[in-house]
Amino acid sequence: MSLPSALQKLASYRKNNTRASQETFKEGLVVLNAGGTNKLGDEGWAFLEQLALAAIDVGRLDVADRCLKQLGQKFPGSPRVDVLTGIRMEATESPSTVLNYYDELLRASPSNAAIWKRRISVLRRVGKIDKAVEELNEYLDTFYTDLEGWLELADVHSSCNQYQFALQALSHALLLSPQNPFTFLQFAETAYTAGDVPLALKMFLVVIDMNDGEDEDTIPLGISVRAWWGTKLCTRLLVSSSSTHTSSSNTSVPKNIKLIDELATERVLTAYSGEQGIQARGLVSKWMSGR
Amino acid sequence: MSNNAVSLYLDPQIRDWVLFPITLVMILVGILRHYVVLLLQSPPKELSRAALREQRALARSQILRATAANSPIPTPFYTSISQHLSDAFAAGTYLKDGPPKGDSPSTPPNPISDPAAMDGMMSGMKTQMVMMVPQMIIMGWINFFFQGFVLIKLPFPLTLGFKSMLQRGIETPDMDVRWVSSLSWYFLNFFGLNGLYRLILGDGNSADSSRDMTTSPFAGGAPAAANPVQDYNKLFKAEKDNLEFSEGLHNWVGNDVENRVLRKYGKLAPAY
Repeated sequence: MSLPSALQKLASYRKNNTRASQETFKEGLVVLNAGGTNKLGDEGWAFLEQLALAAIDVGRLDVADRCLKQLGQKFPGSPRVDVLTGIRMEATESPSTVLNYYDELLRASPSNAAIWKRRISVLRRVGKIDKAVEELNEYLDTFYTDLEGWLELADVHSSCNQYQFALQALSHALLLSPQNPFTFLQFAETAYTAGDVPLALKMFLVVIDMNDGEDEDTIPLGISVRAWWGTKLCTRLLVSSSSTHTSSSNTSVPKNIKLIDELATERVLTAYSGEQGIQARGLVSKWMSGR
Repeated sequence: MSNNAVSLYLDPQIRDWVLFPITLVMILVGILRHYVVLLLQSPPKELSRAALREQRALARSQILRATAANSPIPTPFYTSISQHLSDAFAAGTYLKDGPPKGDSPSTPPNPISDPAAMDGMMSGMKTQMVMMVPQMIIMGWINFFFQGFVLIKLPFPLTLGFKSMLQRGIETPDMDVRWVSSLSWYFLNFFGLNGLYRLILGDGNSADSSRDMTTSPFAGGAPAAANPVQDYNKLFKAEKDNLEFSEGLHNWVGNDVENRVLRKYGKLAPAY
């Protein structure tokens, strides 16, 4: 791997926020050993940070330490290096040591979002879920626009079977990224799990509606297969016992639920008509007919 | 006219000992100024959590309101968030110093008495001083030693209108406009060196002084200082009304989604 092409690839990883740690590490090591950091100028420091993170990811702590040492010499007392040091500590030290370290940093600068987030993630990892949720709530109350934080909160709530709370967190996430169908899909699935089938159905349909590239002649792919499956699951429940389903969010069951059910069946079967899906088609149609 | 041009010869010594030194000194002072400003700049003061929360609370409700007409979330969820926010605004939960006590009339704090605002203003003044003082000295130096010097002849003809720009300090009505006086050379450098600084020091340098010249010493600090002075309590109260208004506008994208999907797949006749 030549130096320029490695540098180019690393720069594009940085720009797109790609985590590809294995590749980053492989190419980063080439650059580091060739002494490319000096040639990069100011970008060299961003590269060192990237390589340190990747090295921690793949478990090559010696390389991470080398990067950290250089960064620490160049930027003494930088909060960004502090966070990186914290992440490095998380790899080997005991959680309580790391927590103490973060506590100290937070006492010095209470509004450092990155350290706060690391602290919350450590709290969650060691099983102090209640404390983590409490901190996360406080964090999100301050840094409302952190989409990642809301998704994390939803995840924590889901893992504790608190689906209503998860839905609330996800609704904030939806407000922040109303253009992302995956957040809608997560909302729909969480609603389904929470037992709010009409709401889930609507949300699955929103996901399908957002997918502009698809119409009746195309085979559903990727996210829309999942959305159609979700729709089918919901309509199946609603058609069989329409009146008994109550929705905690007061979402009404659509009037033409039969039509949607038929459409969902058709679309799911279409999804299994391609070359890869054809083997499973028999199984799917059996499930469809067996109410 | 050609007669005029020939009649004036410039001593090469003027070029070596006046023209070049002025230019060189101005460039060096610009570079020096860049580094002095870097030294003087104090790192932006870190806000406390409460202050940050107060600042960002408005963005929260703005995000909510922006989506109201085509909201991604169902009505009960929207209403609960909206209600929560407007209750919090009414109670002043988001205020930096906690909910206001009693019914004392809230007055916006005086920017002079607020140390945080004062800092911002002072840093603006300091930068201004760093730029004013050397420029004043250079101008005095030129005025004192080289007053009335003709330094250079432009290689192209100009109209008479440029006379006041190029021959400041020489009050002769009939000299060719192409001759540039020392004071004018100073001004040309003053306004024209920014491109050179950008080459030497990179973008966003603070060497160029002509930019600061156009602003008053107080204007630099004012926009930064204006922020903490805002009376958030009042803003929150106003935002509360906006929230109520948006709540009436709320329309969930899921309201009619089944018909849209059915139409898209040709299962339902188009609405029109």
